[in-house]
Amino acid sequence: MALATPSQSVPPRRNFSWLHSPSWDWLGLVPFLTFIAVFLLFPGLVIVQRSLFDSEGRLTWQYWQSLSQAAITLAYTNSLQVSVITAVSGGLIGSMLTWAITLGGLPAGIRSAVLSFAGVAANFSGIPLVFAFVALLGRIGLLNQWLRPLGVALDPQVFLYGFWGLCIVYTYFQIPLTVLVLVPAFQGLRREWREAAENLGATSTQFWLYVGLPVLMPSLLGAFALLFVNALSTYATAVALLGGVGQVFAVTVVVANQFRTDTFGDPGLGYALAASMILVIGATIAVYMVSRRWAEQWRR
Amino acid sequence: MSGIPMNRRRFLQLSALANAGLMVWGSHPLLAQGSSALPPPPPPGPIDLKAAGGMDSLIAAARKEGELSTTALPDDWANYKGIKRVFFKEKYPFLKHNDLTPDASSAEEIEQIKANAGNKGPQNPDVIDVGFVWGARAKAENLLQPYKVATWDTIPTAIKDPDGFWYGDYYGTMSFEVNADAVPFVPQDWQDLLDPRLKGMIAINDPTASSQSTHLVWASSLGNGGTLAQPEKGLAFFKELAKKGNLVATSYSPASLVSGELPISLRWDYNALANRDNNMGKAKIQVVYPKSGTLAGVYLQAISAYAPRPHAARLWMEFLYSDEGQLLWLEGYAKPVRFNDMLKRGVIPKALLDRLPAADVKVEFPTLEQVQTGLQYIRDNWVKEVGITYKS
Repeated sequence: MALATPSQSVPPRRNFSWLHSPSWDWLGLVPFLTFIAVFLLFPGLVIVQRSLFDSEGRLTWQYWQSLSQAAITLAYTNSLQVSVITAVSGGLIGSMLTWAITLGGLPAGIRSAVLSFAGVAANFSGIPLVFAFVALLGRIGLLNQWLRPLGVALDPQVFLYGFWGLCIVYTYFQIPLTVLVLVPAFQGLRREWREAAENLGATSTQFWLYVGLPVLMPSLLGAFALLFVNALSTYATAVALLGGVGQVFAVTVVVANQFRTDTFGDPGLGYALAASMILVIGATIAVYMVSRRWAEQWRR
Repeated sequence: MSGIPMNRRRFLQLSALANAGLMVWGSHPLLAQGSSALPPPPPPGPIDLKAAGGMDSLIAAARKEGELSTTALPDDWANYKGIKRVFFKEKYPFLKHNDLTPDASSAEEIEQIKANAGNKGPQNPDVIDVGFVWGARAKAENLLQPYKVATWDTIPTAIKDPDGFWYGDYYGTMSFEVNADAVPFVPQDWQDLLDPRLKGMIAINDPTASSQSTHLVWASSLGNGGTLAQPEKGLAFFKELAKKGNLVATSYSPASLVSGELPISLRWDYNALANRDNNMGKAKIQVVYPKSGTLAGVYLQAISAYAPRPHAARLWMEFLYSDEGQLLWLEGYAKPVRFNDMLKRGVIPKALLDRLPAADVKVEFPTLEQVQTGLQYIRDNWVKEVGITYKS
């Protein structure tokens, strides 16, 4: 058969079209979605559910209503304040550091040193972190031993064991976290844009105002939201530094105290409080997404 | 609900819908909580050693089970390190020890029982050691099973359940733990703690979380001629301590007491004395009973209703309440509940008696009812009265 000859010279094409059907594309999502469902959605639902039903299984609003008591609102106010303050302080210092090691043109050695340090320090928290700060700022800490010959004494109850102590200690891990999040964004700010702006006669201020910040803004907002949520959800560091008094300053400590107790806990209140934190974090993400959309308007 | 611009009818419809949805949700077995969701416990076993067929058959039955799961027994608390060693390594080496969560709180122990109800694995605790208030509550929730050890009659009646569901095990006396090297003077009574020279030196654990710390706040109500019926006096005292800056807004740690950073705390004498012994040569720790009086606090033992290894659990109880087990607690300065009986019979070695510090002050033993109201009051009001003092 003459017609068959040419087709025999071409090797038969193997058919992979089944791999490209959309139903198989979803397969990659399955393990991740299962993971999220089991370890995030289900526990989240259980928290919400337990905040709404008493131990007899009856629907009740009492746990949510008890969130309005003075001690809880005080904890929330302080927690939100600490989160905003350390998101700003950590964010500012971290942004400056990121700028210095990326666009600032510091030697490559410093840059990689800062990056390795950031990777470690961003995860430094809890008892070891607090121990380090007590050794530095404590009543008989290093700083006070150095200052003693000068007749000066730092009061640890002002700078360490309290609201401002919490801010200082949190800032320690907020700075490196900012660096880790922002380095890729700052690296994306291309040198050519700067040169183009300069060629067109823009001043440095004008470059940052009209080019640099608008490009970075979505990343900065994202970093701020992350820092805020990071501070709000910190538990180990707060309880290691302030112990039981931490419940005046950190909502997470109040939640934990309803479950970790030798005497009388109020698990219903704990679940309601945890569920309210989920709401706050959800609201933070919503605000972030709206503000990000606003910040990206210029791109459209 | 006033002020919401919604038609009343529509609102009722919506909330009925929401309620119905939540009801279905709430009845889901995986999501449901509370004792109603627990499987029924197995029937309780023999009530005492006689019913169990004597010591030999109890040991044989325990040997068949082969292991025992304990929970919340820290090595550095009441000589549990020694007790665990003698029981599992020396006396009954055929029992594998599952030393669950040594630092758990009483609430977590109860949660472990609930979470593992019906589970036969090693993660299900067979026995618990919990704060005094938990006995009656866990019994009411059907989480315990009764057992009366051979020495049952010599346990003081006031600190055991008449039906054998729980039994006091040891008690401590609230004391000052002071690093004498790091303080201008060693406080001898409650009022001494208010001295301005002790500013920034006192640290305690969370009175809303640790039974020991709730008790210490309560004990301080004895300082101004108050009684145990007036826990508010204790809170007022601690408010004063906080206002003066003597009480630091942080928690106690043995390391910071030894280093001198926070040289004063208030703890059960057995914990303070153990810390003193452990740091001999590093710091001069003194344990002081406040002159104007202090209180004693009892913990208790119980067997879980769902214990997968009930015979090993009963064997553990027989050991703890034997003279041998009781003396091991005493070695860790925790006063065992059968102390008076053993003293009368002269079975406490003189060396052990001589080690005990003289508590030559008035020590009050609160009743269960007093403990419940006193601790609840302090827990409910600690943040409102004292915590708030640290407001930024």
